[in-house]
Amino acid sequence: MSQRNHIDRLVLFVVLLLMVASIVVVYSASSTWAFQKLGSASGLVNKHIAKVLIGIVAIFIGMNIDYHKYKSFTKIALIGALGLLVFTIAIGGEIKGAARWLNIGGFSLQPSEIAKFALLFHLSILLATKKDKIADYQNGFLPLMLWIGAVVVLVMLQPNFSTGSVIFVLGITMLFIGGAKLKHIVLSLLPLIPLLLLYMVSAEYRRKRLMSFVHFITSFLGFDDGTAVAATASTTNYQLWQGIIGFGNGGILGVGMGQSKQRDLFLPESYGDFVFSIVGEEYGFIGTVFFLSLFLIILLRGFRIAKNAPDDFGKYLAIGITCTIIIYALGNALVTLGIFPTTGLPMPFVSYGGTAIIFSAFAIGVLLNISSQTDLHPRLKKEKPRTPVDAEPAVGKVY
Amino acid sequence: MKVFNSEKKQTNDFVIPSQQIHKVNQKDSRLLTVKIVLLLLFAIASLRLLQIQVIEAPSYQDIARKQYEAKMILPAERGIMYDRNGNVLVSNSQYVSFAADPKIVGNDVKEVAKKFSAMFGKPESEYIEKLRVKKRFVWMERYVRSDIAEKFFEKKIEGIVEVKEPKRLYHYDETAGQVLGIINAEGKGVSGAEFTFNKKLRGEDGFVIMQKDGRGNKRPSVEYPRQEPISGNSLSLTIDITYQSIVEEELRKGVERTNSDAGIAVMVQPKTGEILAMANYPSVNPNKVTNLEVLKNRTIADMYEPGSVFKIVTVTTALQHKLVTLDKVFNVENGRYKIALTKNESRVITDFHPFKTLTFAEGVAQSSNIMMAKLSNTIGPERLYAQAKNFGFGMPTGIELSGEVSGDVKSPEEWSQTTLNTMAYGYEVGVTPLQMAMAYAAIANDGVLMKPYIIQKETDASGDVVYSGEAQPVRRVIPKDIAQTMKDLLVKVVEEGTGDGAKIPGTSIAGKTGTSRKYVNGKYEEGSYTASFVGFYPAENPEIVCLVILDKPKVGGYTGGTTSAPIFKAIAERIINNKGMFTSVEKPKEEQEEKFEEIKTPGKIPDVQNIAVEEAKEILEENKLRYKISGKGTIVQKQSPLPGKIAKEKDIVQLTLVDTSIVHRVVTVPNVCGMSIRQAMNTLTAKNVKVVFAGSGVVIRQTPTAGTALKNGMKVMLYCEPKTIALQ
Repeated sequence: MSQRNHIDRLVLFVVLLLMVASIVVVYSASSTWAFQKLGSASGLVNKHIAKVLIGIVAIFIGMNIDYHKYKSFTKIALIGALGLLVFTIAIGGEIKGAARWLNIGGFSLQPSEIAKFALLFHLSILLATKKDKIADYQNGFLPLMLWIGAVVVLVMLQPNFSTGSVIFVLGITMLFIGGAKLKHIVLSLLPLIPLLLLYMVSAEYRRKRLMSFVHFITSFLGFDDGTAVAATASTTNYQLWQGIIGFGNGGILGVGMGQSKQRDLFLPESYGDFVFSIVGEEYGFIGTVFFLSLFLIILLRGFRIAKNAPDDFGKYLAIGITCTIIIYALGNALVTLGIFPTTGLPMPFVSYGGTAIIFSAFAIGVLLNISSQTDLHPRLKKEKPRTPVDAEPAVGKVY
Repeated sequence: MKVFNSEKKQTNDFVIPSQQIHKVNQKDSRLLTVKIVLLLLFAIASLRLLQIQVIEAPSYQDIARKQYEAKMILPAERGIMYDRNGNVLVSNSQYVSFAADPKIVGNDVKEVAKKFSAMFGKPESEYIEKLRVKKRFVWMERYVRSDIAEKFFEKKIEGIVEVKEPKRLYHYDETAGQVLGIINAEGKGVSGAEFTFNKKLRGEDGFVIMQKDGRGNKRPSVEYPRQEPISGNSLSLTIDITYQSIVEEELRKGVERTNSDAGIAVMVQPKTGEILAMANYPSVNPNKVTNLEVLKNRTIADMYEPGSVFKIVTVTTALQHKLVTLDKVFNVENGRYKIALTKNESRVITDFHPFKTLTFAEGVAQSSNIMMAKLSNTIGPERLYAQAKNFGFGMPTGIELSGEVSGDVKSPEEWSQTTLNTMAYGYEVGVTPLQMAMAYAAIANDGVLMKPYIIQKETDASGDVVYSGEAQPVRRVIPKDIAQTMKDLLVKVVEEGTGDGAKIPGTSIAGKTGTSRKYVNGKYEEGSYTASFVGFYPAENPEIVCLVILDKPKVGGYTGGTTSAPIFKAIAERIINNKGMFTSVEKPKEEQEEKFEEIKTPGKIPDVQNIAVEEAKEILEENKLRYKISGKGTIVQKQSPLPGKIAKEKDIVQLTLVDTSIVHRVVTVPNVCGMSIRQAMNTLTAKNVKVVFAGSGVVIRQTPTAGTALKNGMKVMLYCEPKTIALQ
């Protein structure tokens, strides 16, 4: 099926805007660190620019490939991704800290990132194929849950708890939207709760983070006064505390482009997971709300694309892609704001970091391809209305 | 059509087959649920942002500012002190100190210690010890000359910081040490003029807000106003450093010769009350104070029983009240005069030089205590007391220096039975050396007591004079004729009496000796004396009053006449030779007067700049102007007052010469290498160049180098080394 209509230009514009803005933000946020470590203020942003450029190319590639073409090899891709995860974990045993990354020709790939998208694509196919059978535990829910579980467990074994959790949340969300029985979802979540609690208290720093998080929530609800929060935060979670100072220092209008003080080695990872704080400091409340609005647009348009997708595969794929981006964006914002416990989540398109931006950009390209196959943006005004292309032949039994 | 949610409405431009509706709707409601959850999270994030960035922003901004702003004080340059002729006495020098943060140095202790050891020559172990201290700050090397520091710190060493430290430089070391005083480590004056005039000298510190990063590294921020420091005011003292040096040297020699415990000398200008010199021995070098005890300026802070030098009070009272004539004869009892106090008790007054009878004038010259005691009986307590007070005893002189004591002159109701008689020759009374010098100055000044002062002028950072010291009469103590008689009597003391040790051929010197037993532990100690001489010259027109006191002289006599008078003489002689002045016999006055004939009609001062010096002299002589020449060369570079000013009587045109070898009127930085700091300073300040020092001793290097074109307000940096090093 070829592209029949225009893509959703607003989504493309918003994503490009985020990517371009990220160059400015990452430059400011990384300049001090880069100058100290690399001897040049632009030492880090240059790498980021390269990834942004590749990302833009990735959008256009994704946009121009008919998303139906992925159908045939999502399963192999997912199995391959699982293999990569196993491989990196095996290596990780030997080289400390290498488990999350895989270096291929100078580029460091995150196998978890590949696995995430492979899972997302495959779940979309499965959901589209199984349709109502998803309500059946044995033949519908369980096989999908096994795929999700396999990816999540391997990612968590890296160990990368935060990405694992997000993938889990994403998988459950897709099952939920795909029509899985609530009973099944709840029952499979229940045994995880004690496991999660055990994990939370298993390390000193996690306990502290948890406590500071509890303090934040209680103060937020007015049970606690701010000083206790400040004291806990400043001692137990320096990074979060500095991030919040960054937001606060920005005030309503911000201190201005490139004027961040928190980036001057006060806020660790100021260009990475905590880049949103720098946005808050430099552009203020206006800036942070604007950034959130951009993601809100992606959410609304993404769901609209899903609803109008020509088939269920397109629909679930659009939802999956949109949810990935939004869950990461919201997760990141809420972590930096102290609402969620601190964990390493990058802000899509904005944070400096790895190849994630390229994968996300490609995913947006796929979303745009789906949008071009709806009737939302007709190429010709007088083209006659189309019926939804839901009635495609089943691909067969696929798990 | 059954519609489950409103979202559906907008996409209704195509028809959904009816059999699919319920299925789609069920799934759409789940989609809506997810959407609502996500929207809620957006709302929470926004609310939290509202809380942090709008409601609580000010408190976070406060916290942030405290984190990244660091106020750094820009210390004001402390004012310079000059002597009356513009010689720099005290200035500032920039040094660099090195400190370490042992925590950052960490494991590199040995390496760092090695570097310091190689540069500064101390053993490595010393530095290692310092670096092992469990503190975050430790001094490694202090007051390093800035060029050495620069070389040393070319390559930064992790954990080592350099701190620029100003150091007060006392150019003449111990000369006038007690007068100038010292400052403490915080740069605050703690003694002497440094203490007294601290407010004037210190200036106002400026500040710069530095931006700090998370590691504590600082850099100046352009966003914040920078408050420049205001340099302290400079002080020109009335001290003449040449006289001061002479006085101190002769005092030291005198103390050593007589093996005295200590020596004090004061020199004042009698007509104005200007302090020309104030000397204390043992002396103190403010550059390296080892003994804080000797910081006291005893000329104002100590009182002593003056002995015979106090007799001027008795003598002038008697003369003023016409109780005596110069030729009245006194029975001076062969040097032993017994006074009955009660039936069984008596007191004996002795004279050092016994005589049977003496005229009043002779009695003064021979310093007869017996005559004074007898005289005091006719004067009476009230008049003697009043005269003592009149001369300024028993009250502070009012000199600007702090730490002055008022002395001890009891009022008659507190007097004992012996006080009247003994006070007449200088016992039972406490005076400061300065009071005594001022009292003699009053006689030299035709009977008018002046208030002593030490600040000639105070100049602010921009060069404006903000205060000028002025001659201030306190009161007329005695009528002019009595003063004249007293002067004549004092001349006789030196010519024929006890003060002959101070006699200088060709100069008429008036003076008085004083020898008093020291009152120690409640009694007058045998063999323990305060020996003093105070005098002034030339007697006919006194220019200088000088008091010399020796504390417990032990060798070569103990009287003021034998121990202190020779010191006075040595001082006076050297000053006369040095300046070629105050000599009434050897150089006829007429010769000078002829040359400096006063101008009759006021004219304008001609322009003699940039012409040959001979030509300039001619022009000035034609205009009947006096001139003074400084510098070497053949061309007049500068003149003061400037041309065009109305010439006043006695105006002296100061001509500064320039060497013609220095190219046509392009003024260049002179070569001062090899000069002492003092010479270099004088040479450069004459050219209106600001001088910054590093080190002390002899100039070894200068930037800019000699021959560089001179700009107004230019700074010249001088690197100096102690002579011994420079000579190697």
